[in-house]
Amino acid sequence: MKVSLFITCLSDAIYPRVGEAMVRLLARYGVKLEFPNVQTCCGQPAFNSGYWKEARTTAKTIIEAFEDCDFVISPSGSCTGMIHHYPKLFEDDAVMHERALRLQSKSYEFTQFLVQVLGVTDVGATFPHKVTYHPSCHGSRLLGVKDEPMALMSNVKGLEFVPLPYADDCCGFGGTFAVKMSDISGAMVTEKVDHVKETEAEVLVGLDMACLMNIGGNLRYRNEPVRVMHLAELLYEGVKQA
Amino acid sequence: MDTAKSHQNWLLEMEAQSRSKQTSFINGISAKLRRPMVTEPPRHPYRGSPDFWNAYEWDEQERIDKFTENFQSVGGHVERLSSMDEVRSFIADKAKEMSAKYVIRQNQPELEALHLESELPEASISVWNTDPDQHWKARSAEADIGVVLVDHAAAYTSSMVVLSSKDKGRSVSLLPTVLIAIIPLDRLKTRMGEVMVHFDEGGRESLPAGIHFISGPSRSSDIENDLTIGVHGPGIVYAIIVG
Amino acid sequence: MSHAPGHSGGATVKARAELALNNEFLRKAVKFTTERLKNGKLKAMEDHGNWEEWRERGRQIRLHTIAHLDYYLNQFVDNARANGVHVHFADTAQDAVTISLAIAERKSAKSVVKSKSMVSEELHLNQALESIGVEAIETDLGEYIIQLAGEAPSHIIIPAIHKNRYQIADLLSEDAGEKLEADTKVLAGYVRRRLRAKFLEADIGMTGCNFAIAETGSMVLFENEGNARMVTTLPKTQITLMGMERIIPSWADLEVMATLLPRSATGQKLTMYMSGITGPRRSEDADGPDEMHIIIVDNGRSLQLGDPEFQELLNCIRCGACLNACPVYRHIGGHAYGGTYSGPIGAVLTPSLQKNIAEWDDIANASSLCGACYEACPVKIPLHEMLVYLRRRKVEAGHGNKVEGAGMMGFGALLSKSGRFKTVLKLGKLGQKFVARNGEIRLKVGPLKGWNTYRVTPSLPKKSFREQWGTMDAEIREGLKEMAPEMKQRMEQIVKDRTKGGGNGHGHS
Repeated sequence: MKVSLFITCLSDAIYPRVGEAMVRLLARYGVKLEFPNVQTCCGQPAFNSGYWKEARTTAKTIIEAFEDCDFVISPSGSCTGMIHHYPKLFEDDAVMHERALRLQSKSYEFTQFLVQVLGVTDVGATFPHKVTYHPSCHGSRLLGVKDEPMALMSNVKGLEFVPLPYADDCCGFGGTFAVKMSDISGAMVTEKVDHVKETEAEVLVGLDMACLMNIGGNLRYRNEPVRVMHLAELLYEGVKQA
Repeated sequence: MDTAKSHQNWLLEMEAQSRSKQTSFINGISAKLRRPMVTEPPRHPYRGSPDFWNAYEWDEQERIDKFTENFQSVGGHVERLSSMDEVRSFIADKAKEMSAKYVIRQNQPELEALHLESELPEASISVWNTDPDQHWKARSAEADIGVVLVDHAAAYTSSMVVLSSKDKGRSVSLLPTVLIAIIPLDRLKTRMGEVMVHFDEGGRESLPAGIHFISGPSRSSDIENDLTIGVHGPGIVYAIIVG
Repeated sequence: MSHAPGHSGGATVKARAELALNNEFLRKAVKFTTERLKNGKLKAMEDHGNWEEWRERGRQIRLHTIAHLDYYLNQFVDNARANGVHVHFADTAQDAVTISLAIAERKSAKSVVKSKSMVSEELHLNQALESIGVEAIETDLGEYIIQLAGEAPSHIIIPAIHKNRYQIADLLSEDAGEKLEADTKVLAGYVRRRLRAKFLEADIGMTGCNFAIAETGSMVLFENEGNARMVTTLPKTQITLMGMERIIPSWADLEVMATLLPRSATGQKLTMYMSGITGPRRSEDADGPDEMHIIIVDNGRSLQLGDPEFQELLNCIRCGACLNACPVYRHIGGHAYGGTYSGPIGAVLTPSLQKNIAEWDDIANASSLCGACYEACPVKIPLHEMLVYLRRRKVEAGHGNKVEGAGMMGFGALLSKSGRFKTVLKLGKLGQKFVARNGEIRLKVGPLKGWNTYRVTPSLPKKSFREQWGTMDAEIREGLKEMAPEMKQRMEQIVKDRTKGGGNGHGHS
């Protein structure tokens, strides 16, 4: 079984620790991740802005990069969700369409893979902190990743889970939206952080570094000492502690 | 007479225009859908509510209880009475309590049999559409109380259904300050679908001009989300379940 | 008194949004209202149960009807005519206005009482009626208020969401010629009395149409106040404006729509009134209109027919649930959308009804594509996807933003090759030397201005993931344990099921 890591640009460039946590956590189960280094970005910024020609170019790179593996896992529900758009992107090209469908069928977000494929809900971690969780829209709403992170967190020893009020509300990232409509986006992330503060959690956890960069950026801007982590990081740190 | 005639002519002219326009309008739709015009009834596999819903039914007591609960939750009043005699006393008491001067009722035999006139000698009671010279909409508008016997009811949504006819004005359930509606228990069903099925089965020609589902008093939350009862229609509605 | 057409303050979505974002009252009011409606909907869904099945049924009925719209529209028209209705067809807003005015002139109408109709808002009909000296009176409480203010509705269900009771009291006091207390009961009581007289004296009643039943030629109205009943009961002439897509086949199908619409709009099991009007009054009836007209309006709707990406837009039942679910709408309110329809449905519908792409404004960009609208929609319209299609069409038609276009071309070129991506990272690390402090960038200039007005940007770490991979990979390989047999078996089974073409249980909804 060949399982490949689709690192996503944000985790590659800014948050390599998330990729490392995934790699090392999965190695504990005998899953040796491969890293096809020809991979780049999923193409979502171009796709969402309407530049499908450009999106196709990067999509093709991703399709080729992961052609010969059995599973593709990523630390982002949004980037995995983008792969689910590839068939639409190539609807006029039968060959590419077929390849896109194949990639879609084997692409998983990290917790989906852990829970649905490996059948793991308890990684044996200990994390004695007050934690709240932001379910990113693309992962939870469009990809349907809802129960997996909850199951994983509920089995972490010492973890005190505090539900985030209005958790399902978008954090305001939305890719280029945050730049093009910066004031609306700013109002949204400000509201999100207000809710994070209400929980009095020490740690905010999520499954998408884009949203976490957005929320974390506003937390830092307001000098709020909340630690922001991807769930993979939390689990791996908790496993090392246990 | 001449204007009426010329108006008829104008309507005929408009109809001719409309019929010719219909052809291009509908043809345009077929063309957009990239196929010839559909002229045979298409198979409609999803018609109506899901099967599990069509099989859903409450027993009589449950229908009464749920109707009551729902109707009260939207600000309506419900009375459970056993006979039309009790209905007569109830209406008479309410009318006296509210010092009602004008009462209007539908021209229905069950209401006729209540003999409200003798119960309420002080009040003026009019019977819908019994005199061609009366301005019946105005009579309804000045009425304190409108009394109707409903044609159907559905407990799940606490809806009373009234159908218009020569003897049953739409205004009677709409314009008075207070509406008193009588629901014979055997007309109280569980779902509104049990009422609608009659309209489908009876078809176009069986339908009255006005079918109204009334599920509580008139209301609005348009001002600062603050609920107001009795905006245009009756603000006080009594549903009397009899039988 | 008439509605200001379209835009209020500011030519772009960004400018209008900025106005709204700085209006503290507006933001609070919109937030409060949308939350009330949204929570009402969630509770109603839960109370009723099996919501997903109802939703799917609603979607299927709408899909079926639209796919056979020619048949059902013909059937409706035939039946409506048989009921004695005068049916008219209007390709454009102008056609619909012309027909409406012709009827008003024929009837020598002095006043028209109107119940809420979004189609009428599309046509800007009130101004047209006034231009020929006919008084047009909105009778829905919220609509009456904004008509007095000379504004357009900012929410499809609660049109005056943006006004507080003091502003409303001022408007109504001016109307009354006496000072009215800013108390809801007092204000609503005044409107009741004032409009009661208008209903009784009006020559024409004008309505919209929530649904039109093909098999019986009936038109159906949902409302809570009773004004739509007044409008269809009292005046001698009734005109109904109906979007050409409002059709459903039968009363049985109406039960499904009546299950979805009020719950999705306000969380009600059913609106206080649901009326099915089948033709003008019967000759022996003593109320109801003598003459009834239905104007079937296209006005851009047929542009979506036969377009696989947008046809589902015609399934919309105008409940407003997407507005209440939308975090963007909550912050900027309805007027920032600059069209008749606001919120996610407005962001898609407004450009879709307009053939000329060059005239599309920036509205489709005012979304983070979070999908809350799709999740809330009772007939499952994928609005978040349609927004992307609109953006694509604008780009492909050559009306994209030039700077952005150049950037995206660079994006495509850079990210098609991982080597180029590495080069960019290197340049980034070099560049940030001048701006990063303690792993953060707080500078508010250039491309970071908007972002850094609300946030701090993380700087790039010393080594990217791909630069660390070699070492990490070697470490992992050493001493990698054997996978548990049952885990291996699970994985193999999944791969096997996949090749059989079986559904992958982790799909996109």
